[in-house]
Amino acid sequence: MSVTVPSARLDDSGEAAEGGMELLLWILVWSELVVFGALLGAFLILGLLDRQALAALHAQLDLPLAGIATATLLTSGFFAACAAFGRHPRRCLVAAALGGFVFCGLKLAAFSHEIPALSTQQGRLPELYFLITGFHLAHVLFVAVLLLLVAWRPVPRQVAAVATVWHLVDLVWLLILPVIYLG
Amino acid sequence: MQRSFHDIAFSVILAALLLATGASLLAAMTLPAGPRGLAIAVLSLAKASLVVLGFMRLQRESRALAGALIGYAALLCALAGLRIALSG
Repeated sequence: MSVTVPSARLDDSGEAAEGGMELLLWILVWSELVVFGALLGAFLILGLLDRQALAALHAQLDLPLAGIATATLLTSGFFAACAAFGRHPRRCLVAAALGGFVFCGLKLAAFSHEIPALSTQQGRLPELYFLITGFHLAHVLFVAVLLLLVAWRPVPRQVAAVATVWHLVDLVWLLILPVIYLG
Repeated sequence: MQRSFHDIAFSVILAALLLATGASLLAAMTLPAGPRGLAIAVLSLAKASLVVLGFMRLQRESRALAGALIGYAALLCALAGLRIALSG
């Protein structure tokens, strides 16, 4: 038995599926923003309550390295934007992913001298610092791998979706910077 | 023609983002607490807005979503600036 489905109905279901995926993407984006917002809010409150611990933490952080990591992530976001707008998607996605891996390398280099220095400090601020930056680092690594997977066979809708998530990772870092490093 | 316009715009946005990053690092190292909090909050919000409006161009798809993202960033930047201004 064959069932004939009107083409208009197929188009409608395709659009509905696309709309559903987009809704899921934005639910993911906002849930990530809420989690990072709660963590950054906790860091701000603890920093206000314990200024000595905040000063001790800042003394160990490598601000120039954080600046270089920021520039790397922003340049990577530039390539993701180029890919999303159809300019050499494959090459730009690979370049964006490479930027993400360089960012991870820079963060790990920073951790290598921050962990021995901060592990001796008491209080919740160092723990919260490693939780926030480590969680963000995991996001960068995961989405950079996703960028490479999408670059394998770039489909415009998938390129746009992965670029949106990459910009979210950029945005979260731009909020981590003033809350944790620049204070 | 439109493609080359996009290329230029993205390059300009990246340059503005890198300049703002340099300026916020400079502000963090040189300014006293009050002006430092204000400068860092304004520069951080400008960077977040550039990512949302410049790289994502989200306002073309949904002004409400773009406004919500910038509002969220504004709240966190304002709180960070306030904390810096209050406690140095």
